[in-house]
Order: sequence, then structure tokens, then C-alpha cells
Amino acid sequence: MMNPSRKSTYWVIATLFVAMLPQLTRMSLAVVVLALLPLMWRLLAETRDWQPVPALVRHSATVIALLTLYHSFGNLAGRRAAVSLLTVMLALKLIEAYRVRDSRLIVSFSLFLCATQFLFTQGILMPVYGAATVLVALVSLTQLQRNEAFSSTGETPPVRASIFSEMGFSFRLLGLAIPIGLAFFLLFPRWSSPLWGIPESTLDAKSGLSESMAPGSIQGLFMDDSPAFRAEFENGIPPRFELYWRGPVFWNFDGRTWSGSYFSKNLPAEFMPLEERATSLYRVQLEPNERHWLFSLDYPAVTPPDSRITVDYQILRQKPVTQLLQYSMASNPDFVDSATLPNTLRDAALDLPEEYNPRTRELVRQWQRQGYKGPRLVEHVLEHFTQEPFHYSLDAPLLGRDSIDEFMFDVRTGYCEHYASAFAVMMRMAGIPARIVTGYMGGWYNEMGDYLLVRQSDAHAWTEVWLPDAGWTRVDPTAAVSPMRVAQGSLGALSDPRHLLDFAWLRRIRNGIDIVQERWNERVIGFGAARQSRLLAPLGLDRMSPTLLVTALVAFVALLSVILVPLVFRVKGPRRRDPLQTVWQTFLTRLKSAGFIPRLSSGPMELAHAASRRLPSEAADIQIIADLYNRARYSSRPPDLTTFRDAVRRFHPKK
Amino acid sequence: MTGAATSTARWAVGRRFDEWILDRVRQKRGTPELPFTLEYRHIYVMPTRFGVWFGILLAVTGLGGLNFNNNMALMLGFILASIAQLTTLLAYRNQLGLTLVGLRAPPVFAGQPAVFKIAIQNPEHRFRFSILAINSLSEDCSDIEPQETVQLELDQETMTRGWQEMEPFRIENRFPLGLFRAWTVIIPRARCLVYPKPDPNPPPLPQTGHGDEGSARPGDGEHLHGLREYRPGDALKNIAWKTSARQQKLYTRLMESPREEACEFNWYLMRGGGVEENLSIMTAWILRAENRQIPYSLEMPGDALPAGLGEEHRDACLKILALFKS
Repeated sequence: MMNPSRKSTYWVIATLFVAMLPQLTRMSLAVVVLALLPLMWRLLAETRDWQPVPALVRHSATVIALLTLYHSFGNLAGRRAAVSLLTVMLALKLIEAYRVRDSRLIVSFSLFLCATQFLFTQGILMPVYGAATVLVALVSLTQLQRNEAFSSTGETPPVRASIFSEMGFSFRLLGLAIPIGLAFFLLFPRWSSPLWGIPESTLDAKSGLSESMAPGSIQGLFMDDSPAFRAEFENGIPPRFELYWRGPVFWNFDGRTWSGSYFSKNLPAEFMPLEERATSLYRVQLEPNERHWLFSLDYPAVTPPDSRITVDYQILRQKPVTQLLQYSMASNPDFVDSATLPNTLRDAALDLPEEYNPRTRELVRQWQRQGYKGPRLVEHVLEHFTQEPFHYSLDAPLLGRDSIDEFMFDVRTGYCEHYASAFAVMMRMAGIPARIVTGYMGGWYNEMGDYLLVRQSDAHAWTEVWLPDAGWTRVDPTAAVSPMRVAQGSLGALSDPRHLLDFAWLRRIRNGIDIVQERWNERVIGFGAARQSRLLAPLGLDRMSPTLLVTALVAFVALLSVILVPLVFRVKGPRRRDPLQTVWQTFLTRLKSAGFIPRLSSGPMELAHAASRRLPSEAADIQIIADLYNRARYSSRPPDLTTFRDAVRRFHPKK
Repeated sequence: MTGAATSTARWAVGRRFDEWILDRVRQKRGTPELPFTLEYRHIYVMPTRFGVWFGILLAVTGLGGLNFNNNMALMLGFILASIAQLTTLLAYRNQLGLTLVGLRAPPVFAGQPAVFKIAIQNPEHRFRFSILAINSLSEDCSDIEPQETVQLELDQETMTRGWQEMEPFRIENRFPLGLFRAWTVIIPRARCLVYPKPDPNPPPLPQTGHGDEGSARPGDGEHLHGLREYRPGDALKNIAWKTSARQQKLYTRLMESPREEACEFNWYLMRGGGVEENLSIMTAWILRAENRQIPYSLEMPGDALPAGLGEEHRDACLKILALFKS
């Protein structure tokens, strides 16, 4: 039989492991090893009866762990770093946890660790995983409670239950707790705005489009299938070629990397499209990316709360998006952006580093000499991309100092950022103001949910040139090279799968079931003070004050208790019936039916004595059975259970 | 994980709170008559230290979830809190209906711990998990099968001889998660007989008994060995008629053949020493005589036992010494 104290340790190890598993995916390999090694050690130590680790080794392990974490994260203030720190410290605690107290500390912190994972992801499967963690933790705590209670007897607590019945007990406990938990979730008063925010320095899980664009930066996103945002249109989805989701806009080019400029982030937009002229009305459900940009179609006519619209129509939020954010947006694609261009902006949109890319410079000069300028030059450059053997591909080699030259004349293969960058540079060489816009292109329309799902892999970069009268005009050179990119999205434009399991049908299924996540986001993750106050609108209560909410909560929980408390009282402990006791009960029942009523307080031998007097004809059998039971229960060499069971089975007393 | 820290005082909440509860119980309920069934009004439920810590952790989780409107963390916090709340009911119910059916303690010598045996019966058809009995010095734990009775043992220090009253104790359980304890304070009526502490270094056995040389052979003989109550089959010639007439009960004289020695422990023959010292010495003598199978008689002021041997005789002698009042 397994030593129960050891058994409880296994459960504690399991709890920590289950709680830390989702966190491990966010850590570097070194930290993963650091977190798993102590677990492995304790597991082996427990199975092989190893001695506890000396204090010196433990302390040096802690120091090594701290140094590795610091090396891996740079500082320990970030969220990811803090969670990694907690994980590793708990794992290290495990190698010295030989007391109930320490084990309980680990289990309770494991539950806390389980809560912290929701800082990073609140996917639809996370609650299932959370429930599993809670179940394992409950079993651990039950075990620890028994260990603690029996510690005074100097013996290990009797093992009464199989793993399944232990899990079953915890499962019932969880099942009964969920309705009350839900009531609290719905009715517990929420804060409409946080009391304290997350310091930006602690954000270390940024995702999606970045604050600059170098060759390869969007290409990297192409592999990322996680959703960027979803958009639900009120008045139909605009045609595909208009689905350019505007994000970061870049003005400065240093020969290799595009980045935003100071003024573009700080100047407010001079003119705003009129909201009543907007043709697209939609709601965006933005996944947290720890960045400031909100996305909209050209051109945003409303300013979402806590944000501002810049001179180049980026929507910047004051605080980074750290959790699911929903905002309403209206767009007017016909808006003329900057009919006149101030000189400072014009200069910024024409600025190029000197001495770079001489061959391209010569090419542009040649076109100008041929008489192409203004819109005609734009068209001519696009034609150049179409007619010359340019390829749209992920396998673009790294480019050197004169990256545009290499791209235009030698490599001629690239992803959208290569084309956008080369095009903008050529425009600037020709004296046409140009800038880079990054964002997302297209999206997957989910028919069932009637919304557009935009994934990180839909990230795109295009160009805007300023033309007199027309103002800033969108030009997408990638579309010239690969019309499929615009028509079918980034994945349709490439013939080769991105990885081994990248099938079109699999992507279709995944896009289809995204509706579950969308609804989950909408109903559960996005549930907040505003939604809560409208909760009882169907009952005629328009706005619920906190007082009203608490009243409703108390009333509801009281009502639930009426149903739940009797159920709780029917919860049997984690136990399979003791087989010995079961057989003995059969024996007692047969005695009863024969007319002998056993006294509860009497022991087996006493009972047999009394029963023999009452049923003298059966005395011999009664004595034998009682003796078997007595020995089975108390003797150091108990008889076979089957012997006892057979004896009872053959016992049929007559009245 | 056996051998958890054993503190000398196992207080449920805090010393002052416990004393307050004890006072209340003493006033309201007092000493229960056995059998005593634990009912709802006898059972208190309070968080354990771990429960308080768990609560703080949940509060932090909930506050974080609330502040950042992280609904999943908030939900986890609420569900864990609900589970914790449900366990109060389970702990309460695990204890409800248990019946205290017996309290007793076998005699001990002063200085040894008195062991009080608490018989607890589970009259119902459900299993009871890790039921504890706890006093200020010790605790004991057992599961209780349906319709079975277990005996829990509690130690209590003994300093002086005489009757020692059982101190108040708790019946407690922290099932299922150890977050809450349900407990019942019992002010028992039970006592333990404490014999005097045997002198570790007593003077030699007093050779004042009646006896001749040679080894003793109990049975037939000419010498009186002791008296015992008449049993059917005893020879008529051995009946101690005079004693029997005095005691209104038949006594048989136990005769023996010549014997090496017999001891007479006589209070009046003790020389020097205080009362307790002498009692200690006599206790040690009784044990030694019993050990060597030498019959011994005891004479105390107001009480006397004729020479005899055996556990019953020994216990009777020791009881006289334990309860002796000078």
C-alpha cells in the first residue's frame, strides 16, 4: 500500500505542475528547466527515499534561479518575470516542503498562480484548465488535512479512497460551488474604472504590430495565427479592397528601418471626418496586445474613449491595451486627408538618408526624365512591379546597406514590407511625399457570428502618397505584385503551407469555431460595470446601483442556499465503502431479518454472544463469522476477505 | 508528514477567545450527561490559521481581478471562496450527531501522564472523517465507521496522588480541506486515580512478616498466607470463621507452607520521612513485592488489608495509599 503521506506529496507536486504548465510556455528554456528540475527531484526523492537537500544547496539553487531569471528578463518587475519568479520559487520551495504547512503554502500559491495565468490569456479553454487545477488542488488539500489530523497518532491516515473517488468528491464540491460563484460573478459590484493601473514598465508580453518596421518584422507576424481583433459591422461589410485596418504610421526612414515621428504621435488631427457621413459602422473587439494602437478602417470619424486621433489618423489609446477592449467605430472612406500639406509635414514625408541606394535613385531619375511625374509616376512604378519579375514570397534574404537597391535589382523577392518600403523610398526620391502605414488587411468573415475575424497573420504594410487635391492617397504596391494578397488574404497568396499542419481546411475549421471565443469574449471576458448595470433590464430595472446589486446578490445566494445546502449534506466523503464493513452490514441485516436486533454500541464478539443466545440453532455460524470479522479488522494477520464473504453468503438464519 | 510540530498548548483560536468560550460553555451547558450527542448548538465553526491565510490570498486575487476587470481571475476567486464556504457546512456535518458514550482513565502513578479514553460513537449511516480529540497537552484522531465506536486517548499531566479530574477538551474536525474547524468544547466529569509516585530508591522490604526459612509454597500448609472471599469448593476447615462473622461474609484462609518471608507494610512502623515520602516508599515496596511474588499485607490508619498477592490486591493497596489522608 502506498504511504499516504507520500501520496499527499505526489498530489502537491501534481498541483504545482498543473498550475505552472500554462506559464511554462511563456518562459525561456532556462527558466523552464529551473522550474521543472526541483519538481523532478522531489518526485524522485519521494519514490526512492532520498535524503532532503542540505540548506546550502537549497540556498545556492535559489541564488542561481534568481540570477537566471534576471538574466532572462532583464528586470524582475514585468508581469511575465514576476510570474516566472513565483513559479520558480514555488518549485524550489517544494524541495524543502516536508511539513503540512509548507505543502499547504505551495497548494494555495499554486491556485494563485492559476489566477495569474488569466493576466495573459482568457481563452475559452482556460476555465476548463482552471477547473482541473482546482480539482487537483482540492484533492491535495483533503490529503493534507488528513495528514495533519492524524499526525498526533504517529501513524499515517488510513487510506479509504481510490483516486477516482477523491476526484469525485472534489468534483462535487466544485460543482456545488459553481452556481454560487456565478451569482457572485454576475452580481458582485464592479468598479467602472480601476483604482490603480498596471505600470507600463511591467508590460512584457507585447504582441502584434510593433512601433517600427524593418524588413522581416511583418513577415514574423505571418506565422502568428492568434486573433488580433474582431469587427462586427452594423451595415454590412465593405468590399474586400477597402478592408485596410489602419495602425501605426511611419514617417522616418534611416535606410533600413521605418519608424514613427515625434510630431505624428503628438499632433492632433486638424480635420475629422463627419460622423454622420460615415458609411461603415462597426464594433471592434480588440485582443490585448499591450500596445497603444486601436485599429480602424480609413478614416476614423469617432474617437474611442481614453484615446486621441493623430494628424496621420492613428488612434492612440492613453494606456496600453492590457485586456480585451471593445469600442465602437465609424469610418468614412471618402474623406480627403490633408488637401493642403504644411511644409513641415511635407519635409518629413520627403526626407531620405543621403548616399543610400544610388541605383534606385538613378532609376527614378530616368523615369522622371521620361516625363513621368505625379500620379503617372505612381502608376508607372506599380507597372514596373507587375512587368518585371518581382515575386511575393516569405523567403526574402536579408538585405545589406543599400537595401532598396538590392531589392529592386537583385533579389526582387519580398513580403509586403519590402514593397511598401521600396515604393515609399522611390516616391520620396521623385519628390512625392510618402509614408508607410501598417495595419491589417482583410479578415475572415464568420457567417454564423456575422463578424470579421482579423488574425495577426493578416498584418500588412502599405504606402500613402500625397497628391495635390487628392491629399494622402493609399497605394498598395503588394497588390500590384500579388493581386491574390488583397483578394484572398495573406494565406491565399502563398502556395506553400507555412508549417507541417497548415492545411486550408484546418484553417477553415479554426476560423469557424472562433465564434465560440468571440461569444466568450463578448459575454464573459467583456463583462463589466456597464454590462452589469443592464443585467436586470429585462425585469424593468434599467440601472442597478451597487446597493441594489448587493441586495440582489444576497437574495439570490440565499435562494441558492435553500437548494444547495441539502445537496451539500448529501455529499459523501471521498470514500469507497469499506468492503469488510459492507459484508458485516449484510450479516447484521440477515440477523435483523431473523429477529435479532443488534445493539449499536456492542462490539462484534459481544454481538455474536447476544445473537447466539437469541438464535441458538445458528450459534456456531454466528461465532465463526464474528470471529472472522474480528480477526479481519483487528488481527495483524487477517484472514482472507473472500473467506469472510463466503461465510456470510452461506449464512441464512431461520426465525 | 507525521510528527508535525506539537505545541504545548493547542488553542483553537486564541487563548483569550478559548477561555471566553470555555466560560460560556460552563455557564450555559456545564458538564454533559453521557451519552451526549453533539447537536447544532454545541458545534462552533471557525477558520483555521490556514483558512485565514487562504482567505487573504483569495481577497488579493479578487481585488486584482476586480481592479483590472480580469473576469477569469475574479471568477476563480469567487468559486474558491464558495468552495471554502461550503466546507464549513461539511465540517459541521462531519461532527453533527456524534455521541460521546464513555470517558474513563486507568489509574497511573503520579508523574506519569493520565490517559483518558474517550469513547465516541457514530450512530448514523455515514462515515466520519478524521475526528480529533484535543486538550491542552495532546490530541488523538480517528475516522469513525458508520455505526461504530472508537476510543480516542488524551494525555494529561499528573503531579500529585489522589483523584485527578479530567480537564476540558475539544472534539474537533477540519474536514475536508483544513480551512475551517468545527469544534465542541466538552467539560467532562471523569477522573483518574493517581497512585503515589513509587520511590525510585526505596529501603529494603521490611522483613517483619510471619515466616520461617525456606521457599514459600502457597496452598495447603500451616501458615496463614492471606484471606480471600469464599468460593464454592473451598475446604470448610479453611474458612476463617472469626473474620467471616465480623465481616458478615465468608472468607477462606489461604494457607501456605513455610516460606522465606512475607511482608507487612505498616504505616505505624514507618520511621521518619514525611507523609508523601512514606507513601512513595510503600508504593515502591508493593510493586517490588508483587514483582517478586512475595505476599504482602497493608496496614494504614483506618484501613487494612490482609496479606495477599495479585493485581487486584495490588490495586486495592495502591488505591488506599493514593487516597490516604493524614
